[in-house]
Amino acid sequence: MTMTSDSSSIQPILRSFDHVLGQLAGASSAAKFSYQGRVLDAAKRVLKQQGGLAALEDRAAALDRAGIFDGTDWAKPSGLVPGMVANALKSPEPRIVVLETLNLLRFLAVVRGAHAQPGLPVEHAHHFLTQVLALNLDRILGAHHEAARLSAHELTPAVDALLQRLLDGVGTEGILGRLVEEVWRILRQRPIQVGHVKSMILQIAIALGQQGQSFSASANRLGADRLISALFGPTDLCREDPGLDAYVARLAHADTGSLQAEASGMARAMHDTGLVSEYHAAYLRYILDSGQGHFLPDALGLSSTGLDCLRCYQPLVQQLIDVAVHPGTAQAVLGISLMLERGILYSPPIAPSLWRLLGTPLSPACEEGLAAAFGSDVTPHQRLVAGLLTLLGQPLGIGQGNNPTCQAARALSIWALNDPDYLLWLLAQVTANDRIVMYFEGAALDSALLPAGLALHTPLDADAVSVLLVPHLDRIYAEMGRRVADRGEDPHRWINPELHGWWVGREFHIAVDIMTGKLQDYDQFIRDFHLAYHPLHNGNEPVIHPQPAGIAVTDSQGTFVGWHAITIIRVALDQSGDMRVYFFNPNNDSGQDWGLGIVVSTHGNGERLGEASLPFGQFASRLYIFHNDGLHTPVSVPVEDEKITAIRDMAQHSWARDRV
Amino acid sequence: MPTKDPNKSYIAILGWSLRCIDALEKFDRRYVIVAPKWAEDYATQHNIPFVSWDFERLNDRSHELATTLKDMGVDVSIPLFEETVEWAGAVNSVLMDNPRLLGQAMLFRDKSLMKRRAQLGGIRVGIFEEAMDQSDVIRFLKRVNQTLLKLDGDPNDPIHFKAFDKAGCLGHRVIRSPDDVAAIADDEFPALLESHLDGWEFAVEAWIKDRKIQFLNISEYVTLGYSVFVPATPELEKWRGKITEQIEKLIEVFDIDFGFIHPEYFVTNDGTMYFGEVAYRPPGFNAFELMERAYGFNAYQALVLSFDPKATQEELDAFFPTPVKDALGHAGCFGVYPRRRVVSELRIPEETENDPYFEFHELAAPMESKVTKRTAFGTHWGLVYFFGEDPHRLRDLLKAQEELDFYL
Repeated sequence: MTMTSDSSSIQPILRSFDHVLGQLAGASSAAKFSYQGRVLDAAKRVLKQQGGLAALEDRAAALDRAGIFDGTDWAKPSGLVPGMVANALKSPEPRIVVLETLNLLRFLAVVRGAHAQPGLPVEHAHHFLTQVLALNLDRILGAHHEAARLSAHELTPAVDALLQRLLDGVGTEGILGRLVEEVWRILRQRPIQVGHVKSMILQIAIALGQQGQSFSASANRLGADRLISALFGPTDLCREDPGLDAYVARLAHADTGSLQAEASGMARAMHDTGLVSEYHAAYLRYILDSGQGHFLPDALGLSSTGLDCLRCYQPLVQQLIDVAVHPGTAQAVLGISLMLERGILYSPPIAPSLWRLLGTPLSPACEEGLAAAFGSDVTPHQRLVAGLLTLLGQPLGIGQGNNPTCQAARALSIWALNDPDYLLWLLAQVTANDRIVMYFEGAALDSALLPAGLALHTPLDADAVSVLLVPHLDRIYAEMGRRVADRGEDPHRWINPELHGWWVGREFHIAVDIMTGKLQDYDQFIRDFHLAYHPLHNGNEPVIHPQPAGIAVTDSQGTFVGWHAITIIRVALDQSGDMRVYFFNPNNDSGQDWGLGIVVSTHGNGERLGEASLPFGQFASRLYIFHNDGLHTPVSVPVEDEKITAIRDMAQHSWARDRV
Repeated sequence: MPTKDPNKSYIAILGWSLRCIDALEKFDRRYVIVAPKWAEDYATQHNIPFVSWDFERLNDRSHELATTLKDMGVDVSIPLFEETVEWAGAVNSVLMDNPRLLGQAMLFRDKSLMKRRAQLGGIRVGIFEEAMDQSDVIRFLKRVNQTLLKLDGDPNDPIHFKAFDKAGCLGHRVIRSPDDVAAIADDEFPALLESHLDGWEFAVEAWIKDRKIQFLNISEYVTLGYSVFVPATPELEKWRGKITEQIEKLIEVFDIDFGFIHPEYFVTNDGTMYFGEVAYRPPGFNAFELMERAYGFNAYQALVLSFDPKATQEELDAFFPTPVKDALGHAGCFGVYPRRRVVSELRIPEETENDPYFEFHELAAPMESKVTKRTAFGTHWGLVYFFGEDPHRLRDLLKAQEELDFYL
């Protein structure tokens, strides 16, 4: 390692660096990128010297102004994601590591007031760095695991020094607290996939273990403890995380009172956090194996609705638990509990469909796909049943992962919510025949015979049901698109009802002209949306079925990012009397800042688990497609012009800026 | 970026070079880039004035290019690459109404013709001959070595084999035995054969205006085809007077009114200069960049000044520094060739990266693991740049790079 070089040796290197930095700063826009590589190389050499980090910190603002980030993914600081930083800093490509380092120094300069970047307010920079630090706690605390050691490269000491410097600059204050808040915020949306949340909780646990004292006074201590205990020690008999074998041995010696306390303790932790401990799975298996099924309702935390449903379908539920609930698939417990609470088993085809699923072996292709995505802790069949139960329990918990398949994820969510019978039928087609056949305007579309759609690969970072169904749905969606491509109108007019079901409204409204991309009859569009969905304008008619809709997603600066598929679930007054649209966003985290004061809420404004919400007008200002059932409202109330104007302004200041 | 001065010349650049475009963006002349179609998107994106032109097409369309540029009001065209030198000659002969410029350009494009012209003008050149096929090469090799009174079995003195119309080291082979001859492909002929001179090879960059040398730089080769630096060591610079005389001879013999030339010479131990060849375009090995580093002036802007019919002597005097004296240091670069047959990654050697003279590199990561066998001098995989005060230290450092692996 060359960190030991004495400080005089940095002078010639800095001279070179300043020379190439000058070249970059003076370069015309056409040649900018051709100087970036040399600046990064020079910066790398500076970084490796004693005092190099400080020298670069002094030059952070100049580097930004010179255009070191122009044309790169780092060009727009407001759009950067803290979660990507750790990977960039570990990249085997030194230029990426250096670029990320310079980027973080730029944020630090903004925090210190040494640099001002339009679009990067101080609070945002501070928040970003706090998040970066929170997500890299292991590195800061020196808790490097073996894998990190193996991937160490020549810049590793420099990066460690950088994180330490950021910590000094931003302060330890609130980092753990932020992380805890972040985890709670995500968990309140009850995602189906909780792998990343678990790893953040692990980071918190490690940090608390090492810096316990300094954190103990904080108000977040309780929140952190709840998270950690929910995962690693939710009840008395496993409080100190004794290991599954020891826990089961303790259960064998526990009296009825203790077993009862275990049941309610497990359920409390689960419904409190949305996380299911592996001890919980072990507990369920133990009581069913030992013939003590009477603890089941308490262990699932059921209300009278769920309890009634359980009693009606006890053998089915026990069989589902036996197949699906294992230490590696503990989240299925929450799925079963919430599915029972929804009462969907009372719908005649559901129970037989589940029996069919339990009794059918998977095709080799399905087994292979599931094994590739999840490994082989449990069998692919067990994995699928667990995944399905989770989806049926949490229809709004599904996420598209890092895949361009929001359409497919949204469809799965809608079916799980509104048409679980159909979802089970699709699954049965795939597990038996490796294909889905859907009908589009009378013509059969066979997914096995269609070319790939938007997703080039099977999604590996999604839930089990998505892993099997998304590739097929994606192909069918793409084929439907091809078939209507020449109709000169937005394809979703036809695709949405045909893909999802009869209950998607056939009356189609769109805010833009497809040919020009310009706003088209926008005021009428807004007016129609009110008449269709706003209870105070449509004769107080609620949303009957979840309806697909299209929004123009904007970033925190209000700049247009892209078109996105969501579901309108319901429209209702919140507790403070404002009318809100409650909707589902298949994006993995719904809590997004869409700019200009429009921040999507996921909690605290009357949202049910997994819902996102916005005040009606704000939502309307980002809407560009919706469906309507075409029934005439008996008593519609006209929409005031001021309301329309306000919504139009919000749209035209953001995504529709260049579409007027 | 400065505003364009409508009273100064309107320049057409033949060839695509980002460094050159960057220089012109920052200069007060109006300009247009004439380059192949593939560059058009980039040019449009960055608002670079652009005329799409296929230089590989036959010359009978050169008049069309000339008329296009003339209609646009262009005053002069400047070639950036060997392949565009005769295009510029043809275009300028129309723009400047001077047919002689085309003939002159053809002379610069043919290594054999230029050598004969130099010889006729009284410039000393080595022994040379044109070769049409392999047998010509073998005959020349034998004859040169007979002249040197070698016996059969003595190691041959090498001869040099150069493609007629390629830039720099492209198509340049060193031939020592008939086996080397067998490796030459038929499509490399016709070619120029030269005897080997045991001397010090160097290059000169000279900006000329009104038949006068405006700035003369001597580039010292450490090893031909590998490394070069500017300004040269005092040992080579001491020949500056004689070198200047030689360049003035070249100006006479080739009848050069303006522009930029890049000749190569040998100087033997007794100070005799041998002319190698001359090009009418910027040198390879990014010598322009080295000059900018050493002196701080932009060599592409200098190029424009030397071609610009409206540039004044005052402007030129103000632009150029005093050679050697005004240099901030010595800048050099090293062309990297992989030394192994199979490579998988680019790794800058520690001793290079930690050297205070090292500045940066422009090496590309390997695209494929197998290194094609180097025929002739071949093309390097990228350049490594150095800068420092001591020319001898720089020279030794460049030499030392030859023993290092940049590709593993």
